[in-house]
Amino acid sequence: MAIHKIFFASLLICLLFQISHGATKERLFSDLEKGALEVTATPSREGVLDAGIDKLSITWKLSSTATKEAEFTTIKVKLCYAPVSQVDRPWRKTENELFKDKSCPHKIITRPYDKSPQSFEYTLERDIPTGTYFVRAYAVDAKGHEVAFGQSTDEAKSTKLFSVQAISGRHKSLDIASVCFSVFSVLALLVFFVNEKRKAKIEQSK
Amino acid sequence: MAHRDEEGSIGTSMHGVTAKEHVFSFSVQGEDGLSSHSVQSDDPTAEFALPVDSEHKAKVFKPLSFAKPHMRAFHLGWISFFTCFISTFAAAPLVPIIRDNLDLTKTDIGNAGVASVSGAIFSRLAIGAVCDLLGARYGTAFLLMLSAPAVFSMSFVADAGGYLSVRFMIGFCLATFVSCSYWTSVMFTGKIIGLVNGCAGGWGDMGGGVTQLLMPMVFHVIKVAGATPFTAWRIAFFVPGFLQVIIGILVLTLGQDLPDGNLSTLQKKGDVSKDKLTKVFWYALRNYRTYVLFILYGFSMGIEMTINNVISEYFFDRFQLKLHTAGMIAASFGMSNFFARPIGGFASDMSARFFGMRGRLWTLWILQTSGGLFCVWLGRATSLPIAILSMMLFSFGVQAACGAIFGIVPFVSRRSLGIISGLTGAGGNFGSGLTQLAFFSSSRFHTADGLSLIGVTAMIFTLLVAFIHFPQWGSMFLGPTSDGRQSKEEHYYAAEWTEAEKLQGLHEGSLKFAENSRSERGKKAATDGASTPLENDNPADV
Repeated sequence: MAIHKIFFASLLICLLFQISHGATKERLFSDLEKGALEVTATPSREGVLDAGIDKLSITWKLSSTATKEAEFTTIKVKLCYAPVSQVDRPWRKTENELFKDKSCPHKIITRPYDKSPQSFEYTLERDIPTGTYFVRAYAVDAKGHEVAFGQSTDEAKSTKLFSVQAISGRHKSLDIASVCFSVFSVLALLVFFVNEKRKAKIEQSK
Repeated sequence: MAHRDEEGSIGTSMHGVTAKEHVFSFSVQGEDGLSSHSVQSDDPTAEFALPVDSEHKAKVFKPLSFAKPHMRAFHLGWISFFTCFISTFAAAPLVPIIRDNLDLTKTDIGNAGVASVSGAIFSRLAIGAVCDLLGARYGTAFLLMLSAPAVFSMSFVADAGGYLSVRFMIGFCLATFVSCSYWTSVMFTGKIIGLVNGCAGGWGDMGGGVTQLLMPMVFHVIKVAGATPFTAWRIAFFVPGFLQVIIGILVLTLGQDLPDGNLSTLQKKGDVSKDKLTKVFWYALRNYRTYVLFILYGFSMGIEMTINNVISEYFFDRFQLKLHTAGMIAASFGMSNFFARPIGGFASDMSARFFGMRGRLWTLWILQTSGGLFCVWLGRATSLPIAILSMMLFSFGVQAACGAIFGIVPFVSRRSLGIISGLTGAGGNFGSGLTQLAFFSSSRFHTADGLSLIGVTAMIFTLLVAFIHFPQWGSMFLGPTSDGRQSKEEHYYAAEWTEAEKLQGLHEGSLKFAENSRSERGKKAATDGASTPLENDNPADV
């Protein structure tokens, strides 16, 4: 009987852990109010945008269908990956649990909530990777929890997407330095080798 | 011609000093039996900082000393290897930046990981021969200074293909492991070689852990200095590149190939005979133990390298850790090499003291099997503390097993030591490439299952230790052969030379080694050595 009691007690403890674990972590994306904000993102020119150079003209305003407006304290605007840029890249995966979701890692701007329509001229950062994107704005309450959002594309994330080409990160000066040091390395080795062979020959002839 | 030593006691054989020895066509001792480099009965050992045996190999290990030539060789050797480990795995902690810069997919990253360890399969094979022919210093310096350009060329990489090629080429320098263990094997005597190789290998392997902390730190400093991330990571690679060049130059200027001098000098003097590459290779391939060691090392060092490439990402994903926390855990896996591998080598040496080679084999089996067991546990662990505990126990088991294997390698062959070290080392890389390809490059297995599976396969393949048998010392389940002739160490090592070569006296080095290896009989060596006279092909007048 004692065994049964211990077993039951441990089961209860495990269950409690699970519940408490879940309670703090499980804020879901599907719980957020969709379309609470109307967001547009207009690229500064046609075609593939260059990171570090081209701009996005972003606007957001409260949608007429929004219901949770009273809770809005801050608006967080983020750059998000379109599905095509998530293929075979699990580090960009979309997850329902908000703390696990990795599809919107790039922050654009954070502003206190204002009833009037807002806009922002965003220059694409130089660390934005090559890919296809859209813009999403989260409405955050006073506790820092997301309550609603709006995005520049439709629910299927297929319209009004834009493409970005990352900077290469290469520089001519870097290339030249690389070649110089490589040549030095090989030459130094050869010099040592030839020198030692010469010395050994001299030793032998003695 | 009088010879000073008549008892023929262990460690003082005087080949070439008495008139009764063979006359050699490549004079081992110089024309008159004595040259400035030959063994005089009680003097030449005094010129060494450490006590030495008849081959002038050090009999003690003093890690805090830098004395020429033994301890200096040790330190240059392990630091070279350490630097190469840093370079080879330098990309791993920076992958989150690199994958954004180069637009890599998971497949690209996995393939590059396989490529990074594959190059060394071939270079580890070749470097043994290079060391046999050119000496350990040039073997090491070639690797360091010829792969430094590959490290620098990360600044040119623009896509997945370039990334894979560069990682492949950098990976060639992992052959410094072989040049390092070759160097220590010619500098240190058999009784302590397990510990010495364990320290050298372990401290070198630590590079795989240190790089997980070093590269992000260097990257961060460069970013703070003003560079954009996609340029900063390229500049960061200059650090391991510089290190390689500097250490390469130090190896050439401060190091020495052999206890008595540099190889080219000794060869020209006729003190060390040159050997034929084909012969050296042939005797390595003929020895079945080479293949067993190849596989065994693939499932100790091999899985260790695989873990170096996947563990950070595993902890990051499975337990939702921050990137730098996952990196620190990954670093501690590699850093435990600092003591784990030396302890493995030391355990091998200790067990050899009591049980001889049989003790070494059992030690290896125990360590590697427990490593595999803890790896299975790591894959099963669902809570972070248990995962970390099992990972640390796994790291200890598998790294100590690496140390224990290289307590055995120096005894498998004397003539082909370089090639066999190389083949064993290559087995490590082969195992790593194979396990990464089979379990971690596709979506067939969850990473956790992959971990458990490599643990299971490791335990199965470790059973092969039972097949390593030495006629003079025995194996895990069998004792030494009772045949009087075959049970002598000299017979085993002299068998690698043909009669014609023996007549020329080319096997003298092997005989010296055989005599020093009598310690592998275990406790019996102490009694055997004193009573039986030195066995030689010609009866000597004692």
